[in-house]
Amino acid sequence: MTSSSLPEAPSPTPIPAHGEGQHASHNLTGFVIFLLSESVIFLAFFSGYAILRLAALDWLPPGVDGLEWRMPLINTVVLVSSSLTMVLAEHFKGKEKLWLFRGFWVLTMAMGVYFLYGQAVEWSGLKFGFTSGTFGGTFYLLTGFHGLHVATGILLMGLMLYRSFIPGIYAKGEEGVKATSLFWHFVDVIWIILFVLLYVWRA
Amino acid sequence: MTSSFPRRFSPVALVALGFWLVLLALVSVWMSRQAFRWLPVQASNAAPLVDGLFSFETGVGTFVFLAVVSVMAWVMLVHRADKYDESDAEPVEGNTRLEVIWTAIPLVLVMAIAWYAIRVNTTLGVLGPMEHIHLVNPAEQQGGYPGDRLPAEQVQVIARQWSWEFRYPGAAVSSTELHLELDRPVTFRLVSDDVLHGFYIPAFRLKQDVIPGRAIDFTLTPTRLGRYRLRDSQFSGTWFATNQADVVVESPTDHAAWLKQAAAAPLQSGLSVAAAEYRERLNHPRVGWPTVVPAPPPQVNVPGTSTLPHDA
Amino acid sequence: MTSTSLSPEPPGSWRRYFGFSTDAKVIGIQYIVVAFFFFLVGGLLAMIIRGELITPASDLVDRTVYNGLYTMHGTIMLFLFIFPVLNGLNNLLIPTMIGAPDMAFPRLNTAAFWLVPVFGTLLIASFFVPSGPATSGWWSYPPVSLQNPSGYLISGEFLWVLAVALSGISSIMGAVNFVTTIIRMRAPGMTWFRMPVFCWTALAAQSLQLIGLPALTGGALMLLFDLVAGTSFYRPEGGGDPVLYQHFFWFYSHPAVYVIILPVFGIFSELFPVYSRKPLFGYVYVALASFIIVGLGLIVWVHHMFPSGVAQWMRNLFMVTTMLIAVPTGVKVFAWLGTMWGGKIRLTTPMLFCIGGLFNFVFAGITGIMLATVPVDIHVSNTYFVVGHFHYVIYGAAVMGIFAAIYHWFPKFTGRMPYEGLGKLHFLLTFVGANLNFLPMHPLGLMGMPRRVSSYDTEFAFWNVLASLGAFLLGVSIIPFLLNMISSWVRGPRAPHNPWNAIGLEWLLPSPPPEDNFGEHVPTVISRPYGYGSGEPLVENQAQIERALTLAEATR
Ligand code: HEA
Ligand code: HEA
Ligand code: CUA
Ligand SMILES: [Cu+2]
Repeated sequence: MTSSSLPEAPSPTPIPAHGEGQHASHNLTGFVIFLLSESVIFLAFFSGYAILRLAALDWLPPGVDGLEWRMPLINTVVLVSSSLTMVLAEHFKGKEKLWLFRGFWVLTMAMGVYFLYGQAVEWSGLKFGFTSGTFGGTFYLLTGFHGLHVATGILLMGLMLYRSFIPGIYAKGEEGVKATSLFWHFVDVIWIILFVLLYVWRA
Repeated sequence: MTSSFPRRFSPVALVALGFWLVLLALVSVWMSRQAFRWLPVQASNAAPLVDGLFSFETGVGTFVFLAVVSVMAWVMLVHRADKYDESDAEPVEGNTRLEVIWTAIPLVLVMAIAWYAIRVNTTLGVLGPMEHIHLVNPAEQQGGYPGDRLPAEQVQVIARQWSWEFRYPGAAVSSTELHLELDRPVTFRLVSDDVLHGFYIPAFRLKQDVIPGRAIDFTLTPTRLGRYRLRDSQFSGTWFATNQADVVVESPTDHAAWLKQAAAAPLQSGLSVAAAEYRERLNHPRVGWPTVVPAPPPQVNVPGTSTLPHDA
Repeated sequence: MTSTSLSPEPPGSWRRYFGFSTDAKVIGIQYIVVAFFFFLVGGLLAMIIRGELITPASDLVDRTVYNGLYTMHGTIMLFLFIFPVLNGLNNLLIPTMIGAPDMAFPRLNTAAFWLVPVFGTLLIASFFVPSGPATSGWWSYPPVSLQNPSGYLISGEFLWVLAVALSGISSIMGAVNFVTTIIRMRAPGMTWFRMPVFCWTALAAQSLQLIGLPALTGGALMLLFDLVAGTSFYRPEGGGDPVLYQHFFWFYSHPAVYVIILPVFGIFSELFPVYSRKPLFGYVYVALASFIIVGLGLIVWVHHMFPSGVAQWMRNLFMVTTMLIAVPTGVKVFAWLGTMWGGKIRLTTPMLFCIGGLFNFVFAGITGIMLATVPVDIHVSNTYFVVGHFHYVIYGAAVMGIFAAIYHWFPKFTGRMPYEGLGKLHFLLTFVGANLNFLPMHPLGLMGMPRRVSSYDTEFAFWNVLASLGAFLLGVSIIPFLLNMISSWVRGPRAPHNPWNAIGLEWLLPSPPPEDNFGEHVPTVISRPYGYGSGEPLVENQAQIERALTLAEATR
């Protein structure tokens, strides 16, 4: 932190140039700020869902009697575990075991892809659509918007995987992996709340 | 941070300051009296309460405003730099005691206003404008209100793009002019056929959004004979501005007579400026942008008028 | 940092203002110029509005046109004028005030700026689609906003939602950048409590953007789906709730008013000390009060919905939280008075705009308190009383504060001095025009004249005529401003590095500053800002720095 230098200290100490070296940490700061902001949009959707649901006379559209929860539960387990494999990947990156890092990284990506696949299977088997009242609307809005984040996370991971082959990249203070993993944990936490709201909360 | 502020005041200055504050207080009291004149006539039991609160706020506000402006005027007159004076003033950085004082005074003032306002709110709630909100219940709509037991007159208000319709289920009357009995509570049930509207009678100090999909009950008592305006207060589309109706407050005998006469009258098209203007607009197809077509004027016993002079 | 520049033009060339630059100072000026272009457009719409309202009948424009005019006026003024102009000031002032060479993310900055003309064009284009522009007010409340009588998919409302969403994205990009820059790139020695108040208020305002905007974006997304995809989040027929939208909208749009006024508080806090030749009174309280306003500002939004059917306890709760905002705001107002008290006041153009702005602000704050009390608000909500209240704050205080900032920092960033005489004329016309325009709106509202009407009952005619005359005077007031800006930029006298004898890092830079500001030689801050009269230098080796600057100016 540039601001912490003492006022009495004479100034010949080289001014921390705001060059490339510093930029990585700015990136992480900026990214965390962005994620905090992003979480509010989910908060808005969650509260919208809760308000609409609490005020509804008939929540479920005719012919629909609730959501099947087994498949989504498996999905949940996969997504939560993928956060763990990601932690492992980061751990090996710290130990400079790059191939182990890549291995667990790809495993995490695969689990993310599986989650999306499970989601797609679930969607295709549902008897209601986006326009089936507020139930259908909020269901697809929440899962769809979250799914978009999962897809983004997988893309980011792919990018980081590619960048891991650039020689010496981590020595320059590259923090993309850290940012991606923060994002992934964020997506994970959001899903847990979503799962509770959509599947666990019964009338 | 120390400061020389308090020390700078001589006794003469303190007396002068005292005089000035008393003067401001007098002006503020005068303004708070004036405040009543800026408002429409008081035609409901809610009006005096609202106006009293507004008058109080005007007084407090005038005092705060004038006090701040006095300081601004003073410093501009007295603390101006001379023409070629390039020097700085005495570097006073702050004064914790002053900070505390001017945090506390506004806090006390606004809490006093809030306390007063909550009391008015509570009284108003007991008197009437405590609205009950229901989701529209089709069954209930067919079989009249559960609130028929109340002594209040029941009036159903239907807002449309762009007309107001008033139904008196007790007397099987419908009208596009609102007739009310003096000094008798009336409960409105507000429903909308299409979009948001606002049920606003300035002389009653009454305003409530009409929300499609909900029925909102609203009670109050008219307290002054006369003819008033009801205005749509929540933007509702092209002819929003014309979505007005007249409110007639009449004596109990007149009201009973009106209801009887109305019940006997045949149904006819009610008042709808929008429908008339829309027909006119069809002759000029290229004017303006596409608009929602006005709902056909409601079929009512009494269309009423909107051209007579009104009290507010 | 300089290597990241996308601009092919050398610094100093006027051409770089017309391209994709990554220099915050260029972007800042681009923001401000574009914002004032849209100010003229929004102002022109206001002139037509006031032209229609000078007579009771709807006789100047068709009613649908009137609705489009006021909707676009509000939207343009907020999303295309006031937010961009403030972001322009942020771009100019934040890096120079904290001694950073640029923003933390220069490319993000470029992208955020260039979104403005994009969504501006989108919004203006809606005048030319068959449906006409959006006509349901800048709130765009459903179900009216979902009606779309034209039947086309690409309707004015559709373009409106798109433009607002893009504006949100641009603002979020800006906010991430400003916050990161302030947190991470301050000069050595510039601790939090040595940071100029403008940066405090910018930080506070941008935090509000970060918390509030996503809610609006989420709500707008649902509106868009209702409009084009047939969902029913807000459609009562499908079980939706129109009032839910109002919560989303005001959860952001109330804080938005503090996004507007907080930087203006920052401007006041910078300028009153300079032109009173005294330190800012109670600097720490003024700085911290910004964050109390942020906290309170997030929990008052329901005061825009008192008549829409919220429970009594909610009304009372939100009334109290709203009232509390008077306390930290009062702390600031009194601090400015304390700053002027015993000072050596110089009534320059920027100072006049500050004093006039403060005058209007206190008036508007008091009508705000009246609006906060539920029973009074029930009567005046959605009437011209509200329109009067917010034009007093927005035009009377915020826009006047922005004018003050422009006159004050104009020499720094253009290298030319603005003309005092024209500036004072501009002030006089603005102050008189604004009061003549917006004061009559208060009696109108109290009498019960609803806002958003294209015609009205004859009893409202008198005050409306006055308001319209005031509006036309305001329209004229902009002429000396534009003349001043253009002529002094082109051929005004050369500005020295510190024409106002002000204290602050930005005044230790040449006018205009070089592209990377202090470059490698960022001075070390050794004292609090606003050391007027204390004789303490702000930075190490201040004397040498000043001497070098003066020398360079003499040989220019
Ligand atoms: C920059 C913009 C800005 C600012 C700063 C404010 C500041 C305030 N506003 Fe305003 N407001 C708007 C812009 C702004 N407003 C807009 C745009 C709308 C309408 C939007 C629309 O409908 O389209 C609106 C509408 C609006 C409403 C809704 C009215 C309605 O629709 O029915 C309310 C209600 O509470 C309100 C209240 C307040 C309050 C209490 C403050 C407070 O922050 C003011 C605090 C300041 C002071 C009080 C003065 C200084 C203090 C002192 C000198 C201390 C002593 C004072 C006392 C003891 C009173 N405003
Ligand atoms: C930053 C915000 C801002 C600013 C600066 C202004 C400035 C002005 N506003 Fe506006 N206004 C709003 C924000 C703002 N307004 C909002 C949010 C609404 C609510 C909308 C809604 O209800 O949805 C509103 C609503 C509103 C109404 C109510 C409409 C209604 O409810 O029916 C009125 C009516 O008088 C009005 C008038 C004015 C006037 C006369 C000015 C003047 O100050 C303008 C002065 C103009 C100039 C100084 C420029 C003059 C330009 C020229 C003379 C032409 C030159 C043009 C070119 C070369 C292209 N405004
Ligand atoms: Cu609830 Cu009547
Ligand atoms: Cu507000």
